[in-house]
Amino acid sequence: MKINVMQEVLQANDRIAGENRKIFQKNKNLVLNLMSSPGAGKTSLLEKTAEMLQGRLRLGVIVGDLETTRDADRISKYNIPAIQLTTGNACHLDANMVSYALPHLKLEEIDILVIENVGNLVCPAEFIVGEDYKIMILSVTEGDEKPLKYPMMFHESKLLLINKIDLAQYTNFNMEEAKANAHKINPDMDIIEISCTQGTGLDRWIKWLVEHYKQKLKGSAHA
Amino acid sequence: MHEMGIAQNILDIAVAAARKEGASKITRINLVAGELRGIEPMQLTFCFAVVARDTIAGNAYLDIETVPVSGYCNECQTNFSIDDYAYVCPQCGSVKIEVTGGTELRLKDIEIE
Repeated sequence: MKINVMQEVLQANDRIAGENRKIFQKNKNLVLNLMSSPGAGKTSLLEKTAEMLQGRLRLGVIVGDLETTRDADRISKYNIPAIQLTTGNACHLDANMVSYALPHLKLEEIDILVIENVGNLVCPAEFIVGEDYKIMILSVTEGDEKPLKYPMMFHESKLLLINKIDLAQYTNFNMEEAKANAHKINPDMDIIEISCTQGTGLDRWIKWLVEHYKQKLKGSAHA
Repeated sequence: MHEMGIAQNILDIAVAAARKEGASKITRINLVAGELRGIEPMQLTFCFAVVARDTIAGNAYLDIETVPVSGYCNECQTNFSIDDYAYVCPQCGSVKIEVTGGTELRLKDIEIE
C-alpha cells in the first residue's frame, strides 16, 4: 500500500531554526552563519572584526569545532562572548546544536552574533540555524574554480569574502575569474576582497556589517 | 557527510507515517532530491541502510529521484532549466531569476505492508 507523505526531510531542523530566529528577533541580533573550508580564515576574520568593532557594535560568537576549543580561546582574548560547540564527528552545525548554545550567551548584550560553522564547503549550506544571512570566505590558495565545484554554498551566501589576497601573487588564482564564477552561481552576491593579516579591505567588511545591522534594526532583513 | 543526518530524518519521517497507518513493514521510500542539495545517492543509500537496521524500514528500498535545477525569469516570464549552474535567463539574459527547482529535499511517499 502506498502512503502519500510529502514532508520536507529537514523540517525538524527548520522548525528549531525558526525558534532560534524568534529568540534572535527578540534580542535584536543580526545573526550571520559564517562558512568556509578549513583554514580559509574564519577565526582570523573574527579576531580582526572583534578588534575593529570595539566601541561601535557588540560582537558575540558561537564556534563549531570538531574536537578542540582553540578557536573559542583565540576569540575570547578579545573580551567578547564566545561559546564553543564541540561537534565531535559532525561536519556542520544544525539548528538544534545552536539552540543549546543560546542560554549560555547574554543575547540582549550582543548586536552581531556570528556563528562560525565547521570548516567544510558542502554540509553547512544544507542546514539553516536561524541566521539572517549565510556568508562565506574563500581564500585565494583554494583556487578560483571553487564556486563551480561547491555551487550550493555559493548560491546560499549573501556575501563572499575573498581572503589572503596578499598571497594571490604566489598562486595562479585569477580574481576576475573567481568573481565571475561566484556571480554565475549567485548574481546578487556581494564580494569583498580582504587580507586578514595585512588588514586590506577590512574597512569595507566592517561597513557591510554595520549597514546590515542597521537594516536588521529597521526590520527589513530577512534570511 | 551530511548524508547521515539526512538518512536519520528520512527514517524518522517514514516510520512515523507508517505507524500512523498501523504498518508493520516499510518496503519502499520515494525521495525527491534537488541537484543543488549535493546528495550522493550511494552514500545516502548506505547511510540509510545503517540507520534503518533493526527498524520496520530495515529492508526498505530507498529510491532517490534527482531533480535538475530550474528557474523562472521575472523579466520575461520564461521557465527554463539551469544547466551548468548558469543563473541567467537563456531568453533575455536577465539575472533577475528565481530558482524554481533543484533545492527540494522531500519525502514523497512510502510503500507499506
